[in-house]
Amino acid sequence: MDSEHINTSWEVGELKDQIILPPEPITNEAIAKRLYEQANIKLQSGEIKRPKLVWLELNGCSGNIISLLNGDNPSFEYMISSMVDLVYSNSLMIPEGEKALDKLMDLLKSDESFILAVEGAVSLKNNGMYQLVGSYKGQPLTGLQAAKMLGAKATHVIAVGACAVDGGPSAAKPNLSQSVGLQDVLDRRIIKLPGCPCHPDWFLGTLSHILVHGEPALDKRDRPLLFYSTLIHDRCPRLDYFHKGIFSKTLGEPYCLFKLGCRGPVTRVDCPTRRWNDDVNWPIGASTCIGCSQFGFPDQMAPFISYDT
Amino acid sequence: MVKRIMINPITRMSGFMELDVIVDDEGRVTEAKTKGTMFRGFEQMMVGRSPFDAIYLTQRICGICSTAHSVGASMALEDALGVIPTEQGRYLRDIIHGCEFLQNHIRHFYQYGLPDFVRIPNNNTIYATKQTDYRLPNQVNDVLATHYYDSLPISRLGHELLAVFGGKAPHNHGIFVGGYSTPATVDKLVKAKSILQQIAAFVIEKMIPDVYVLAKYYSDYYHIGAGPRNLMTFGVFNDYTELGTLYVGSGIYQEGKFQAFDREKITEHLDHSWYTGQSSYRPFDTMPEPDMDKPNAYSWVKAPRYDDHPFEVGPLARLWISGEYRNGISTMDRIIARTLEVNKIIDVITRLLDQIIPDTMVQERWQVPETSQGAGLVDTTRGALGHWLKIDKKQLSFYQIITPSAWDFSASTTDCKGTAEQSLIGTTIADPDNPVELGRILRSFDPCMSCATHVYRPGHEPRTFQVFG
Repeated sequence: MDSEHINTSWEVGELKDQIILPPEPITNEAIAKRLYEQANIKLQSGEIKRPKLVWLELNGCSGNIISLLNGDNPSFEYMISSMVDLVYSNSLMIPEGEKALDKLMDLLKSDESFILAVEGAVSLKNNGMYQLVGSYKGQPLTGLQAAKMLGAKATHVIAVGACAVDGGPSAAKPNLSQSVGLQDVLDRRIIKLPGCPCHPDWFLGTLSHILVHGEPALDKRDRPLLFYSTLIHDRCPRLDYFHKGIFSKTLGEPYCLFKLGCRGPVTRVDCPTRRWNDDVNWPIGASTCIGCSQFGFPDQMAPFISYDT
Repeated sequence: MVKRIMINPITRMSGFMELDVIVDDEGRVTEAKTKGTMFRGFEQMMVGRSPFDAIYLTQRICGICSTAHSVGASMALEDALGVIPTEQGRYLRDIIHGCEFLQNHIRHFYQYGLPDFVRIPNNNTIYATKQTDYRLPNQVNDVLATHYYDSLPISRLGHELLAVFGGKAPHNHGIFVGGYSTPATVDKLVKAKSILQQIAAFVIEKMIPDVYVLAKYYSDYYHIGAGPRNLMTFGVFNDYTELGTLYVGSGIYQEGKFQAFDREKITEHLDHSWYTGQSSYRPFDTMPEPDMDKPNAYSWVKAPRYDDHPFEVGPLARLWISGEYRNGISTMDRIIARTLEVNKIIDVITRLLDQIIPDTMVQERWQVPETSQGAGLVDTTRGALGHWLKIDKKQLSFYQIITPSAWDFSASTTDCKGTAEQSLIGTTIADPDNPVELGRILRSFDPCMSCATHVYRPGHEPRTFQVFG
């Protein structure tokens, strides 16, 4: 039946009453997509306004901001145009030196509320002197100081990536910089998004949830259930090989990678269905899972590849 | 009046850097120190781990150039394990590596470098600036500012292309001993070609014309920021059995002469760095001990030297030594070279993709010897990268990494300042309150201080900031 036929057959009002929508898909991906759309509608209508977001880079590789730039529907462009006013980002902001830090200090002095996203671990060594965010009025501003000052005032704090969550690679033994996760220096609720790096959807989905519905439902370790509720192993496309006892003997074989040291069975995140970089692939599509989204990465997930089993 | 200018943080780069310069009464830079302000200690972290874990864990040094470390580590392991990768293994590893150049250079040019020269619309607080030296006519400025945004999906495609074979990016799973972990399939190869075509169109139609617009309006930058004029490359996309060299073999350019590269001439020096141990050593010799109380040290950046001289590494060095760009050595030449190199890499990846035989397995159950050592030297996005490792009792017992940014942003030695430091000295700063020249010169090297992993300690403890009113 073509659309013209529909219009001539029924009045619009009648049609509306009679439409029965198919059930909405309830996969995590579909729910996340609907959240993004709702957030956008409310922002456009002015029902909610763009809140301020501070992106603080601490002791790490600055790979989570790069991963955020990889976001694809929603994208980074979408985030800064329709979701938030980005106030601070060492990697992206135009001002440098004290003029950059002025943005942080002005925000702290004002009554404006803001959301804080932190990537990288907090280095405790030498009172935090192992990692400086900058220098203000001739004094060093350590990552430790910045995390405490901003963390005390933010409406929501999001730890983005393995290092901010529990120290991650920055805290790998012997941990000469005495790096710790953000929670060790902030006594407040921190939403934790482990991953090395954090998938852009995990961050942007969490941010949307905060904007539209407030804090998302979290598990006992403060991870959003929306993204971190299932084990990789349980939704791995190679699971059937595991059940049949068919295991890859080398990397590159299409069978279960369990006996090469795959950490999918202990890593709780939606990688197998969400996949990476606009859905083109995911880690097990290339090699073993190294457990980068699980607490204790990397030390408790090592060795990543093993031929001994 | 002599004036000291300190800039911390230098933004729009990966990691953290402080710049400390002295300008004389004519506004000329007479003294310069570049200092990394972050330390993690990845070399010490590698000791005691499974050798294979180096390929994944060293990638965590850097979020924007992680693939480089997987290439360096896998090559060092192949050397230590006595594995000679097949040509197919090298081709696909190099394709994955090439994708990182695309992603990195496009992001560096548009997101990090362009705002030094082009006014970006102030629609977010991060774009609000008091800088005034913007010279492009409004109409031209608007076009390039639009390209700032147009470039975002394109650099993203660079990582997407990387992930097609590498699993994910940043921090790929596709590079391993033998070259790559999982073979390419026909559908992946055609997807890669399709993505590459989109990137190529952007680079030809927008990126390369854009850099020449900058060069036209900021032509004075051809005359500043030269540095020591010593150029070095370890070589990359080179010495294939059948294809020969697609880009550049290793080489040295010093005092106007081209020379063969000899890896035995690489040393690291600790004259003004916060380390004790041998004051100079070769990469396999020793991992120096940190010592924050060492007198006359101002930074924890070590000082890598070749034949006792500081060297510049990166796209300009590569194009100069390969003979494809010899206009000059300056801030602007560095920016142009990086842009032209994107086109070069697209050509290299295209040629390598045509060589890939689908479904070719290169993986084995690699055996780790009881004791061994190996080195992996390769040029990466920012220049010459070296990984040196030793294995004892089948575990890593020693790890040395010298990154490109350690070459470009090295500390001084007793007789010689570092490369970027030299590039700043002699520059005239028009307005010491807005010293835009300094950031422009430094960014032309594409600093990655996440990779340089050093620490700086001023002589005082941090104080509490009173900002809550």
